[in-house]
Amino acid sequence: MQPRLTQVFRFTRCSYADGVAELGYAFDDGEELVERIRFPVLAPSSHRGEGWGEGAWPSERRAAFAAALKLLHLIAGISYYKAGVPPKIDVADGPLDGATADLLDALYLHGLAEFAYRNKLDLRSRIAFPRLSPSPRQGEGRGEGTARSQAATLDLPRRTLVPIGGGKDSLVAVEAIKAIGAAATAVWVGNSALIAACAERTGLPTLNIQRELAPGLFELNRQGAWNGHIPVTAVNSAILAVAAVLYGYDSIAFANERSASVATLEYEGQQVNHQWSKGYAFEQLLGDWLHTHVAADLDYCSLLRPYSELAITRAFAKLTPYFDTFSSCNRNFKLLGPRPADRWCGQCPKCHFVFLALAPFLAKPRLLSIFGRNLLDDESLAAGFDALLEYRDHKPFECVGEGAEARAAMFALSQRPEWAEDALVARFRGEILPLLDPAQLALEPWLQPAAEHRVPPRLQRALATIG
Amino acid sequence: MKFGGTSVATLPRWQNILELVASRRAEGARVLVVVSALSGITDALKQLCRQGERSRRVEAAAAIRQRHDELLGHMQLPLPQTLGARLHDLAQLADDGAAVLGELAWQAQVQAHGELMSSALGAAFLSHSGLPTQWLDARDCLAAIALPNQNERTRLLSAMVEAKPDPALNARLAALGEVFITQGFIARESEGRTVLLGRGGSDTSASYFGALLKASRVEIWTDVAGMFTANPRQVPSARLLQKLDYEEAQEIASTGAKVLHPRCLSPLREPRVPLLIKDTNRPELDGTVIGPEVREHAPSVKAISARKGITLVSMESVGMWQQVGFLADVFAQFKQHGLSVDLIGSAETNVTVSLDPTENLLDSDAVAALATDLAKVCRVKVIAPCAAITLVGRGMRSMLHTLSGVLAEFGQLRVHLISQSSNNLNLTFVVDENVVDELLPHLHELLIAAGALRTDDSALFGPSWQALYGGGETLAPAAAWWHESERRRLLDIAGKATPRYVYHLPTVRQQARELKTLAAVDRLHYAVKANTHPAILRALAEEGFGFECVSPGELQAVIAAVPGSAPLLFTPNFAPREDYAWALTTRATVSLDSLYPLEHWGELFRGREIVLRVDLGRGLGHHEKVRTGGSGSKFGLPVDQLDTFLRLADAHGVIVRGLHAHLGSGILDDAHWGEVYAQLASLAERIGSVGFIDIGGGLGVPSHPGEVRLDIAALDRVLREVKAAYPHYQLWMEPGRYLVADAGVLLAKVTQHKGKGALRYLGLDTGMNSLIRPALYDAWHEIVNLSRLDEPATALYQVVGPICESGDVLGTDRRLPEAAEGDVILIAQAGAYGKVMSSPYNLRDEAEEIIIDD
Repeated sequence: MQPRLTQVFRFTRCSYADGVAELGYAFDDGEELVERIRFPVLAPSSHRGEGWGEGAWPSERRAAFAAALKLLHLIAGISYYKAGVPPKIDVADGPLDGATADLLDALYLHGLAEFAYRNKLDLRSRIAFPRLSPSPRQGEGRGEGTARSQAATLDLPRRTLVPIGGGKDSLVAVEAIKAIGAAATAVWVGNSALIAACAERTGLPTLNIQRELAPGLFELNRQGAWNGHIPVTAVNSAILAVAAVLYGYDSIAFANERSASVATLEYEGQQVNHQWSKGYAFEQLLGDWLHTHVAADLDYCSLLRPYSELAITRAFAKLTPYFDTFSSCNRNFKLLGPRPADRWCGQCPKCHFVFLALAPFLAKPRLLSIFGRNLLDDESLAAGFDALLEYRDHKPFECVGEGAEARAAMFALSQRPEWAEDALVARFRGEILPLLDPAQLALEPWLQPAAEHRVPPRLQRALATIG
Repeated sequence: MKFGGTSVATLPRWQNILELVASRRAEGARVLVVVSALSGITDALKQLCRQGERSRRVEAAAAIRQRHDELLGHMQLPLPQTLGARLHDLAQLADDGAAVLGELAWQAQVQAHGELMSSALGAAFLSHSGLPTQWLDARDCLAAIALPNQNERTRLLSAMVEAKPDPALNARLAALGEVFITQGFIARESEGRTVLLGRGGSDTSASYFGALLKASRVEIWTDVAGMFTANPRQVPSARLLQKLDYEEAQEIASTGAKVLHPRCLSPLREPRVPLLIKDTNRPELDGTVIGPEVREHAPSVKAISARKGITLVSMESVGMWQQVGFLADVFAQFKQHGLSVDLIGSAETNVTVSLDPTENLLDSDAVAALATDLAKVCRVKVIAPCAAITLVGRGMRSMLHTLSGVLAEFGQLRVHLISQSSNNLNLTFVVDENVVDELLPHLHELLIAAGALRTDDSALFGPSWQALYGGGETLAPAAAWWHESERRRLLDIAGKATPRYVYHLPTVRQQARELKTLAAVDRLHYAVKANTHPAILRALAEEGFGFECVSPGELQAVIAAVPGSAPLLFTPNFAPREDYAWALTTRATVSLDSLYPLEHWGELFRGREIVLRVDLGRGLGHHEKVRTGGSGSKFGLPVDQLDTFLRLADAHGVIVRGLHAHLGSGILDDAHWGEVYAQLASLAERIGSVGFIDIGGGLGVPSHPGEVRLDIAALDRVLREVKAAYPHYQLWMEPGRYLVADAGVLLAKVTQHKGKGALRYLGLDTGMNSLIRPALYDAWHEIVNLSRLDEPATALYQVVGPICESGDVLGTDRRLPEAAEGDVILIAQAGAYGKVMSSPYNLRDEAEEIIIDD
């Protein structure tokens, strides 16, 4: 099969039994691709008396679980859909309601925007999930107003799933929740030794969900499938929505910050945002959808939404116990080693940005001991830091802060004698700073929280502990 | 004889001490034993000192008593009176608190009890066990001196003793007995108060006693056999140093070795008392002797060490040029911010200093505050994290010429500071800290290979740490095939003609089968450039190997020799278009390592599956010329061009099926391939089409005596670990030299010899025309006189060939039997890169190749 020549992408079936969700997809009449997501059958210790035993659930909860599972099926399909991006999408059990179709159209279009940009594809004409009645705002939907009522209230236990990614953000979120004494579980999808070590270090109960991509996807790749970035946070969010209903949690608190909503670049009239599924638009779409389709008392939010990267790095700079464990590096380190180089590649934009953003808030020797080297004294990294500063380049396709934020951090360092002579800081002073408006370079404004967030009242005190 | 805390903590360890002391007695020596406190007791006493409440102090003293009572119980001894008195004193001190004596004096008095009690206990045990032992109060012998820069704290808690030979003490002890036991760590000052000797105090006590008594030697019994050429945790192949002089040992101790505190050597220097480090658990090992005598030896680097966590402060200003007091002002700032300066490098307008690592440095704002103050008078730059790599050896400056290979290694790095002290004992390079873990073992190897660290001198260098302590089985080099079983046959072969290469196929098969035990590896390719003899190709095809070729010529040679089913790889570098075009007509899998072929000849590759060779960065290998990674090397696609390559591949319908990297050859560290493998696999995850990872070859073959063989089982463990993380990729390897090096020898005949100055040249009938590795790579090949294998090696030869090049040297400073014209000389490990690199230079006849297979 030539994946790029396929005509239809089909959502064939989804099911759940004994802790395993099976999600089926196919191109044209090709062989079914089955993804499996494994939820631990032995619930974590904190789950005493709750959750497991779906057989005894009331019908509302069963319905909620079915709805969440269906959404997971639809969202996780994005990994397979992108292999061929055929012109037609087919859902085996019939067309979707307007709100669901709007959510998926938006996710597939914006979540794959970087993929489309890189592969020089235009997806606007292709992505249209089948829907029951035509929506007037196809593709750009924001739900259908108040037309749909709230889903049932499930009386979910008052505790929170906090996804851990191994980086600084989720650890700041964890500590904020711990600070107000709220019940929470550190959860992660997939097997990463680094994330497991970080989760362990939080001291919270842990939950590890496994995701097995359909082996057929590797085969499609071998046959020349399209490849590129997918909005993995959306997939993980949908997995956690299923987990919340399954185990009993009333909230899912991600750690997506303010700058995640800012587009990386604009291409042929379309905003391209590498981290669209970490942005506020997706948070609103999914949060509302869960309230109307799954449970009125299941909240989906980001605890860090009001904060800039710099506000978060400042908060993280106080969390010394994580310094030898965490990594925001985007190289996938599957094997852990004791050295900084085993966690920080030093080459990727994430390494560059986190180094720069932490620098104003940590003693220099301490920061250097985390990374094992001084990235700002390495001339060969000039291009990488230029991109962060949006100097002669656009912001990288990575989850990094805004250009203005990076410039503020760099400016702060340029004023400090212990940093000022480092190669890239000296270069900034000599070459870039004269082109900038000094009034725009202050660090302090970045440390002020914004008002925009969807954090439920129960967790709002945690917000205050970060800023 | 000095024994530390763990050596005196249990009954079995005391039985061990008893045996060791008795054995010294049996040799006729009179013995003074110096002991530390039982392990953990000094910490417990310090803890006691920190307790404000009386009841807590009393409790702590009771717990300490309990430890000693328990040990006495195991010894089945009643409480000796001496120990009883000490326990009583301690209880009293705990009860009183610091009020009576004053805080510091009280602390010293309390902490001194650890040694006072352990020695009392030891005296009772040794005497009871039939070795009459006198208890000696160290404070009656060691008098602390007052020094001008001391304050009350240093006077009481890190005191110094001036230990001059004291015949009166000798006479006093002679009257008392033959065996004595006393305390480490403590002394008495002029006012009669008990003082402590500070860190490393017990070793220092032993040295003071050694000097006072002008002992025949001081023995430090510890948990390792002595000092090593490097920290064994970083360099498992580090060699035991069997002989050092005081200054060298002190330099090694202060630049890294933890086994001995640098303080404890200076008391012994003047009275010329040797110090011996011994392993309590392995008393049969020779240990390290540190003494005054510098016997005539070739100058040698003795050790290489690395200290991490170093911060450099570089200060630049024309203001310092010929300016009185500038540096004094600058250094005053360091003092004011509580920062201790270690190394200093200076130029007319720049001074760079290193700061000793401390935990305080890490989190405090001291560096920021210092930089702010210094910035007022000069340009300041803080450089970190750095590491200081120090080579230690007497007469370092006279060895610089041997260090060219080592210095070349530093050429690839950012060297921030070089320091060479006027005592000519060390050479220190300050480099970025992140390169050190990889660099140190590599430099250690280079020092040996360059003949700067003369491990061939068995009087100075003992076995490797790995051989002594490495995990269980040590990989002793197997007897070479040519040594016994085939010697007669080789003499016959040489009798007919020389020079001749002889290849032993059973050895090739044995190496091949060993590699086949690598369970993680899915496919092995023989890198045929090492040796293209058809018999070897056929033997490896029979073992199921594929073949890696780098030119159409190699491909043709392989296709002619092996069955059509054997997999082929074509991995050229800077090959012309027509090479690729031809290779694509064969069954070989083609690999690319630059953008150019796809940019300019993209259609040639349309629809093809290819292997991409990437350059992961810094190269590794035994010589600069065999290093194939890093931007100084012409091989591989730099990782930052990967995305461009993939776009080009996509545009031409080219599928990247394999990802390959090869960082060099002669690598003996098994962890290295794990790193390459994991890095490649994480890159492969960005490329959907990849099905296999090819981690190249470069498996090292040890050539120097004492070099440890690559541990294939350990390599397999490393590879399996990575494979478990990336099970969806097949793993390929491309060994070359590993398969054939040991299987081949070069036979030559002695033509003549010549004396010139102190050197004796032994001439052979072939040289660099047959075997260019020594000249090209400084490669070391074992050379033996096959005609006189059993005769003593009494001559020291420079082994040379007949080529008109001064570089035509096969081996320098080789100890061989006195040779005569016509003797058959065997040059070992010539199976790889021997014949294939030979040349007709000087139009000398080429060496024939002979196969042995049975």
